[in-house]
Amino acid sequence: MAVKVHLHLTLRQFTNGQEIIDVEGMTVGECLKNVVKKYPGMESSLFGKNGKLSNIVEIYVNLQSAYPNELAKQVKDGDEIHVTMMLAGG
Amino acid sequence: MLTGEELDRYSRQIMIPQIGEKGQEKLKRAKVFIAGVGGLGSPVSIYLTAAGVGHLRMVDHDRVDLTNLNRQVVHWSGDVGKRKVESAQEKLNKLNPNVTVETLSVTLSEENASELITGFDLIVDAMDNLPTRYLLNKKAIEHGIPFFHGAVNGFEGRAMTVIPGKTACLRCLYRGPVPESKFPVIGVTPAVIGCIQATEVIKYLVGSGELLGNRLLAYDGLNLKFTEFKVQRNPQCEHCAHI
Repeated sequence: MAVKVHLHLTLRQFTNGQEIIDVEGMTVGECLKNVVKKYPGMESSLFGKNGKLSNIVEIYVNLQSAYPNELAKQVKDGDEIHVTMMLAGG
Repeated sequence: MLTGEELDRYSRQIMIPQIGEKGQEKLKRAKVFIAGVGGLGSPVSIYLTAAGVGHLRMVDHDRVDLTNLNRQVVHWSGDVGKRKVESAQEKLNKLNPNVTVETLSVTLSEENASELITGFDLIVDAMDNLPTRYLLNKKAIEHGIPFFHGAVNGFEGRAMTVIPGKTACLRCLYRGPVPESKFPVIGVTPAVIGCIQATEVIKYLVGSGELLGNRLLAYDGLNLKFTEFKVQRNPQCEHCAHI
């Protein structure tokens, strides 16, 4: 499935500023793995040592929260995944 | 009842059909709890005071520091060293003497939070850390008090409104603990998010407009873009699944 992945601002440092990455994948997890294959520096920002999503990462598919079990969520052609980060400042 | 001075002071917002005199009276009768008098708390408290929300309780344990002044606009250079709640109260009283600004220089905790929020119509999240945000969220749910969340980092911000029992709460999105760190921020960012929170509060109090319930509004100041994400209640949520 051809999917667009929208990256959070802090992740664009790994993509030379590019915000939207085109990838293939059947699930959110596969799509993110393929993004990391293209930009390996991003891996530790997205995933913890156990391979799970970092606690600070939020995933939306077509602007709808994919939580919980984000990585297993299936995607289809034309879907858009937003990878964003929880914010804590005030 | 609005006094002649109030009718004059608020005349321009009373002209707004969604407010009118009835709405203004609702604002005057309202009691709002603001947790935090910093980057978010500054615009929230200033604009709710300007709008005539009758009673604000403001809680913050900090003193004003020079490093606060790039964004915490209710505090000024001469306030460095003062308790933030006292510094804010002084300005807000001068802005609008009609508003009761009650202040508490205390640390919010499991032991005191329930007592502090009891009797208030709503809670504004103007905190600077996640653990206290989650504490407030939990207490808001326990007491059935709407909770107006906001958060910032750098040029980014987000806001969401929690109506206990009806919409997703902050804990619905919880994945696990996050290490705390000093966050970068420029004043214009909490200015935007704080004003969004104040807008939500006013809308809730006057009963107009559509609130950010089950909607996480994400702000990107660098690209001047808002994105609205839909969120849903988590049936396993530790805070709200039972209601």
